[in-house]
Amino acid sequence: MVDNVIAVRDIGKAFAGVQALDGITLEIAPGEIHCLAGENGSGKSTLIKVMSGVHAPDTGTIELNGKTFSKLSPIEAISNGVQVIYQDFSVFPNLTVMENLALNAELAAHRTFVSWKRMRAVAEEAIAKINFTIDLDEKVGQLSVAQKQLVAISRALMSDAKLIIMDEPTTALTKREVDALFAIILDLKARGIATLFVSHKLDEVFEISERFTIIRNGKSVITCLPEELDHATFSHHMTGREFDDDHFVPEHVSEEPILETRGLGVDGAFADVDLTLRKGEILGITGLLGSGRTELALSLFGSKPADSGKILINGEVVEVGSVRAAIAHGIGYVPEDRLTEGLFLERSISSNIVISEIDSFVSKFGALDQRKADAEGQRWVDELKIATPNPANPVNTLSGGNQQRIVLAKWLATHPKILILNGPTVGVDIGSKHDIHRILRTLASEGLGVIIISDDIPEVIQNCNRVMAMNAGRIVAEIDPRTTTESELAELMSKDPSTIDGKG
Amino acid sequence: MAKLVRKLTKSNEFYLLLVIIAVSIVIQLRSGQFFSANNLVDLANAMVVPGIFAVGAFMVLVAGGIDVSFPALASLSVYATTRVLVDAGYTGGVWLPFLMVIVVGAILGAFNGLFTSRFVVPVLIITLGTASVFSGVMQGVFKSVQIPNLPQGMSDFGRSTLFVATNPESGLTSNMPVAFLILVAVVAVAFVVMRYTTFGRGLYAIGGDESAAARAGFKVRKIKFWLFVIVGIIASLAGLVRTSMMDQMHPTNLLGMELMVIAAVVLGGASITGGTGTLTGTMLGTLLIVIVQNSMILVGIPTFWQGFALGTLILVGTGISAVQLTRSRKRAPALVQG
Amino acid sequence: MKQRRFAGLAIGLVAVVGLGLAGCSADADTSTASGEDAYTIVIVPKDSTNPWFVRMEEGVNKFAADSGNDVYQKGPAETDATLQVQVIQDLIAQGVDAIGVVPVDPGALETVLKQAMDAGIIVVTHEGASQENTMYDIEAFNNTQYGAFIMDNLAEAMGEEGTYATMVGHVTNASHNEWADGAVARQMEAYPNMTLLAAEPRVESQDDGEVAYQAAKELLKKYPEVTGIVGTSSFDAPGVARAIEELGLTGKVFVSGTGMPAANKSILEKGLVKTLTLWDPADAGYALASLAEQILDGEDIADGVNLGVTGYENMTFAEGSDKVLEGNGWVVIDKDNVDSFGF
Repeated sequence: MVDNVIAVRDIGKAFAGVQALDGITLEIAPGEIHCLAGENGSGKSTLIKVMSGVHAPDTGTIELNGKTFSKLSPIEAISNGVQVIYQDFSVFPNLTVMENLALNAELAAHRTFVSWKRMRAVAEEAIAKINFTIDLDEKVGQLSVAQKQLVAISRALMSDAKLIIMDEPTTALTKREVDALFAIILDLKARGIATLFVSHKLDEVFEISERFTIIRNGKSVITCLPEELDHATFSHHMTGREFDDDHFVPEHVSEEPILETRGLGVDGAFADVDLTLRKGEILGITGLLGSGRTELALSLFGSKPADSGKILINGEVVEVGSVRAAIAHGIGYVPEDRLTEGLFLERSISSNIVISEIDSFVSKFGALDQRKADAEGQRWVDELKIATPNPANPVNTLSGGNQQRIVLAKWLATHPKILILNGPTVGVDIGSKHDIHRILRTLASEGLGVIIISDDIPEVIQNCNRVMAMNAGRIVAEIDPRTTTESELAELMSKDPSTIDGKG
Repeated sequence: MAKLVRKLTKSNEFYLLLVIIAVSIVIQLRSGQFFSANNLVDLANAMVVPGIFAVGAFMVLVAGGIDVSFPALASLSVYATTRVLVDAGYTGGVWLPFLMVIVVGAILGAFNGLFTSRFVVPVLIITLGTASVFSGVMQGVFKSVQIPNLPQGMSDFGRSTLFVATNPESGLTSNMPVAFLILVAVVAVAFVVMRYTTFGRGLYAIGGDESAAARAGFKVRKIKFWLFVIVGIIASLAGLVRTSMMDQMHPTNLLGMELMVIAAVVLGGASITGGTGTLTGTMLGTLLIVIVQNSMILVGIPTFWQGFALGTLILVGTGISAVQLTRSRKRAPALVQG
Repeated sequence: MKQRRFAGLAIGLVAVVGLGLAGCSADADTSTASGEDAYTIVIVPKDSTNPWFVRMEEGVNKFAADSGNDVYQKGPAETDATLQVQVIQDLIAQGVDAIGVVPVDPGALETVLKQAMDAGIIVVTHEGASQENTMYDIEAFNNTQYGAFIMDNLAEAMGEEGTYATMVGHVTNASHNEWADGAVARQMEAYPNMTLLAAEPRVESQDDGEVAYQAAKELLKKYPEVTGIVGTSSFDAPGVARAIEELGLTGKVFVSGTGMPAANKSILEKGLVKTLTLWDPADAGYALASLAEQILDGEDIADGVNLGVTGYENMTFAEGSDKVLEGNGWVVIDKDNVDSFGF
C-alpha cells in the first residue's frame, strides 16, 4: 500500500473531564473514499476537528504528508492538503460565486486590496477543475443546495487538496444531485484525492464508500469493507445494541376506517388525495421535499385547512378548519422540526409534556396542581424511557432522540385516536430511532391509527404496513412494503410525474 | 447588452433612480422650481450631512448591525472639540477642529467597537446604550449649552463656498458649500474601501455569514472594531460640517437623525439583516429622502401632512424591498408542476 | 454660599422671634436698612446653573437690595423635579416666609407646595399657570399680546407692507401657535398693507436651526412675494437669517422672533435681523419676589398690581383665572443693547 494521505494514531481528547476521543486510529490512502460513521456524540465531529487542526489532541499523533505532528494548526492542515466541507458549506449567500471562491485566496495572501480581475481568474480556474459550469456573477444565495455544495468543493480544491472531508454531504440532495456528486468524487479519486464522508446513516454513501470506520463513545469500533456491513450490523456497531430488522405487521386492524379523505387538496401544494387509515395501522406517506407531503400533514391537522375535498373521521364528514378542531377530533401531530415547532427548550421536561393538557391539572380556583402535573410528567418519562435523571430539567439538556420522545409524550398525553408524525426520526441517532419505531408499533397495536410522513425510505418500508408515494402534489402509488424494495420506492418518488400512470 | 439590461432591471438602484426622476418631474410640474440651478445647489447643500452619516450607517448595516449612536457620537465629539477650542480662544484654521473631531470620533467609535466585537449582543442594543452614554457625557460632564460663537476657522469653513448658483428669474442665489467636497471624499474613500479592500469585502462576508467569515480566515473581531472606529470618524466629520455651517454649536441638533438616515440607507437597498446594499443605492436613497424633505413647501403639501408624506415614502420604499426579498426567498422549488 | 445661608437662617430666626414676641419694642434686627421686620423670601428656579436662571438671580438679588428683606435664590443643580422637591422641603423645614417657584413639573410639586402652604408659607409661582397649589402665578406676558409685539417689530422692519408667513417649532406647540395667532391678529387689526401668505401660512422649523434654514429657503424660492417671516421658537430667527443671507435677500426679507442675546449677537450685529424679542428672567425674578413681599405685607392682590419692575407694573389676571397674573414683560434686543444682558 502507498503512503497514507493522513493517518491519525491513538488520538485521545478530553473536554472538561469527558473523554470525547479515546485511542482512535484512522488511516486514509490516496484516492480512497472512506466513510466515518457514528451516532451523534460519538466523537466524529471532534475527530474531524483534530484532523483539520481546530482541536489539538491530548495524546496521539497525526501523520500528514510524511510528517508527524503531535498537534496541527488549521493553517498547517490546509497547507498539507486537508479541506473540510461543513454541512452548511460555509458559503456567503450574499456574495457572488466568484467572491466565494476567490476570497479565501486573497486572504491567504494577506492582501489589503482585492483585485476583481485576479479573483475572476482564480474562480474560473477553480470551477474548471470539476467541470462545473455556473455564472460566476450569480449570488450564491440564489443557487440550489447542490450548486452551493459544488461551490464549496471547488473552493476546497483550490488549495491543492489531498483529502476532502465532507460532513453529511447528501442529506439535502435529490437522487440526481447525489449521482452528480458521486461522479465528481470518483473523478477526484482518479486524481488521487481522497474523500472522507462523515455520516450517521448507512445508506447515504454506502454505494460509493470503499471502507467504513465506525466509532462509538470516542473509540474505533471497526474499520471494514462495505461488503461486511448490512443494516443490522451497521446499527449494531453504531449503538452496541442488537436490533431485529423485521417488518411491521399490524395485529388488530379495525374494519371501519378511522380516518378517510376524499379528493383532498390545498391549492399550490397537493390535490386529489384519497386515503384511508384504520385503527391499528401504520400508514406511510413518502415523497421528496416539495412533493406536498408536509402540506398534506398540516391540512389533516388543521393548520393549513384544505381548499377542496373532505375529511371523514369514523365515517362522518368533519370540518378540520383549525388546530383546535383537529385536537378535538382526536388528531395529534408531531411536527417536522421539533426544535422550532414543538418544544419550549428552556422549560422543564414535565411541563413540556403536560402543556397540551394543562387544563386538566388546574383546580377550580384556577391554580395549577403542580404535584399532579409532575406525576403525569414522570409517568411519561418512565413509559417512553426518556433518559433523564430528573423531569424538572430543561428540555435542552436532552439529546435529539430524547427530545423527540418528549414531543411524542406531549401528544400522547392528549389521548389522540390518530397520530400523524412528520419526519419522526430526522436528526435522531440510530438507537433512539429504533426506540421511537418500537413505541409507534406498540401504539398501533393498542388501537391507534398512525401516519408516518417521511422521506426516509427504510423507515417507512420497515415500520408501515402500507406506504403511499407522493410526487408533485399527487399520490402516485400505494405499495406493500413487504413486496417492494427501497429502490423501487425511490424511483416512484423521484420520477418525472408525467410518466407515472397512477391514480389522480 | 441583454444581460446588462436584465441586471439593470433586477437592481434596486435602477428603480430608485426611476422614482427619483418621477418625483423630480412631479415637483417641477407643481412648482416650476425644481430644475433651477439654485434649487439643485440647495439640495446638494442639504444632502451633505445626511449623506455623510448615511455612508457610516451603510457600512454598519452591511456588516449586519444597526448603529443608532452616530448622531450622539457626532454631537459629543464636536461639542467637546468646540468647547475646548472656544475656551482656549483658538483663532486658527479649520484643520485643528478637523483633527480633533477625527481623534475624538475615533476614540468614541473604538468604545462602540470594543463592545460590539466582544459581546454577542445585537449592535442595535449596544448602540442604544452607548448613544445614551454619549449624550449623557455631553450633558453631564460638559454641561452642554448652546455655543453661539464658533472658533473663527470653523465659521469661515462653514461659510466658504465652491460657487454661487443664481436663479436668473428670481435673482436668488444659493451657495454650494465647500463641505460638499467632504461628502464627495467620504463617499469616494468608502467606495474604494468597500469594493477593493479585503476589509470592505470582509464586512460583506460578516454580514452574509459571520461564522463562515471566521472560517474563511477573516479576523471578525478586528474588522468589527475598526469598522466602528471608521464610522465614529465619519459621523464626527458630519457633525463638524453641520456645526460649522450652522455657525453655532447646538448640542441636540443632530439627535434624532438616526432613524431618517437608516431609513434612507434601507431605501437604498441595504438589507437590515446585513450583507447586501451598495453605496450607489445608499446615496440615491438619501437623495430621495432629502429631495422629498426639502420639497414639501415647493409642492405645497400642507404642514400638517408633511410628516405623513415622508413616512409614507419610507414605508412604501422599504416595503418594496421587503417584498422583493420575500419573493426571492419564495423562488424555492415549485410545488405542483401541473 | 454656606455663610449666606447661615446668615439668612439667623435673620429669619430673629424675624420669627421678633414676630412671636409681639409687643416687645426691642428691634434686634440691625442688619436691615429699613428697620422693619425682615422677611425671608426664597426663589427656587428649575436649575441653578442654567444661564437663564443665573440671569434670574440678578433680579432676585436686586430686589433683596431694594427691599432690605432677606431674599435669595436656591435651586437644584440640574433640571430635575425630584431635586426641586427636596430643595422646597428643606425650605419648609427652615421655616422661610415665602417661596417663589419656577416649577420643573407642576404636577410633581403639588404635594410639597401644599405642605408649604399648610405650614403657613406664602407660595407663588412663575411659568406655572397650571399649578394648583399656589397663591398666584405670574406670567411675563399674555401669549396673544406677545405675538402682537413680535408682529409690531416685524412690521416696523418691513415698513408695514408686504406678504409674510409664520414659523413655529411644531404645529402642535401651544405657546408658539398662540404667539403666531397673536401676531396674525395684530396684523389684521393694525397693518392693513400687510398680507398673510395664504398658500403657506404656517411652516415648521421642528425646533431645529437647520430645518428653519431649509424651510425658509424653500419658502422664499416658491413665494418670491414673501418679505417677512414671523419666527417664534428660538431656532427660527437664526436659521431664517442664514437663508436670507445666502439667497442674497439681506435688507429685502426680514425675520423676527424670540432669541437669547448672546446666541444671536452675530446676526444682530451683521444686520441680518434687526430686532428679537424675549422676556428678561431677571425682571421675572424681581417681580416674583416682589409679589411674595406684597402678600406677606397683607396687601390686596388685584388687577393692576404693580410689582415694581418694567413690564410688571400693571399685572392683570388672565381671562377666567383669579390666580394667573400676566404682565407685558417683554423686551427688545437689537445690536445696541445685545451686550447689556449678560446671558
